[in-house]
Amino acid sequence: MTDNFEQELRFLQLRFIGKILAGFTHESKNYLAIIKESAGLIDDMIKLGKSGEEASGQFLEIIHSIEEQIEKSTGLFKFLNRFSHRMDTQLSAFNCNEALEELMALVNRFANQKRIELAKDFQQDLPQIYGNPSMIQFLVFSFLEEIIKTLDKNSRIIIKTGTANGSVMIKIIPEGNLLEVEIEKEEFPYETYNTVLERLNGKITPEAGAKTFTFPLKVSDI
Amino acid sequence: MKERDIKVLLVDDEMDFANTLAQRLKMRNLKVGTAYDGEEALTRLKEDEPDVVVLDLNMPGMHGMEVLAETRKAYPDIQVIILTGHGTDKEEEEAKKIGSCDFLNKPADIDYLEQRIRKAFRKKLESTATSVAFDKEEKFDALTKDKKPIIKQTL
Repeated sequence: MTDNFEQELRFLQLRFIGKILAGFTHESKNYLAIIKESAGLIDDMIKLGKSGEEASGQFLEIIHSIEEQIEKSTGLFKFLNRFSHRMDTQLSAFNCNEALEELMALVNRFANQKRIELAKDFQQDLPQIYGNPSMIQFLVFSFLEEIIKTLDKNSRIIIKTGTANGSVMIKIIPEGNLLEVEIEKEEFPYETYNTVLERLNGKITPEAGAKTFTFPLKVSDI
Repeated sequence: MKERDIKVLLVDDEMDFANTLAQRLKMRNLKVGTAYDGEEALTRLKEDEPDVVVLDLNMPGMHGMEVLAETRKAYPDIQVIILTGHGTDKEEEEAKKIGSCDFLNKPADIDYLEQRIRKAFRKKLESTATSVAFDKEEKFDALTKDKKPIIKQTL
């Protein structure tokens, strides 16, 4: 592989991590803002001298709302933590469903911004594969990002997993109107992504007029 | 108009955030309505005629900048305060250029936000007064267009 390829890949990976972190901090900040306002509302009510049964009910409601926000943010923290630890080792045996679920939780915000629903259709008892899960997440994210750009609002993207011919298949299926968007080669370096997948013993297979993408990955024999 | 009649439209896609903040502002004698996206905000502007809009930027569908531009175009007297979780300097500059009167980061201190809303309201009153004055002047000009030489002669 050329230095140029490695440089481009490094740049794209850093950009991917940056985007994930930006999305995560955005979501977290939203949760914290709600918690702050909820705590502030309790403070306001106490200062106004609110008491009695009605006030107690309101207090409990606010407390539950705070708990709910903490739970949501804890879930997101868990996903980010798992996502980060996947980079500890270059190669490992892993479950694709788990890696994809984690990625979906972290990129959901990008789809939501365009009112696009991210749906999963995972095959249960999916065999493990041996490879680089971070790289798989990076590839799926890159394709998802492009599909989100070209898909009209109020659409849906299904991420499907399954098995065929001794491989685990990841399918990205857009559902909805596709917009006529000109995408520059530099913006979406398809060949680079394909080379990355080839390194992982896979190959990108575009279907349905290159709108659906399948990534086959060899099942681990470990 | 008395200060207690200040009408605020709070626009934020985070419903819990918008509703809680609305409650807190209501406790501070402001009349607060909420909208959860840009499209709804534009409808509410027409129906509620708020004095001040407190507007988030990153929302699904219509972006806050678009809402700001539409608001300033259709209702130039309405004052818009941006309240965003992730405002960059570039966004602040752009928002000010389009016509926002303030740019705050989430979460903002409630007393500070209230103070900014009241300040924006005063600005709106000044802006309305100026518009009325201009309007009157224009009407006077139109009425006296043909009579100006006579008025001059009389003077």
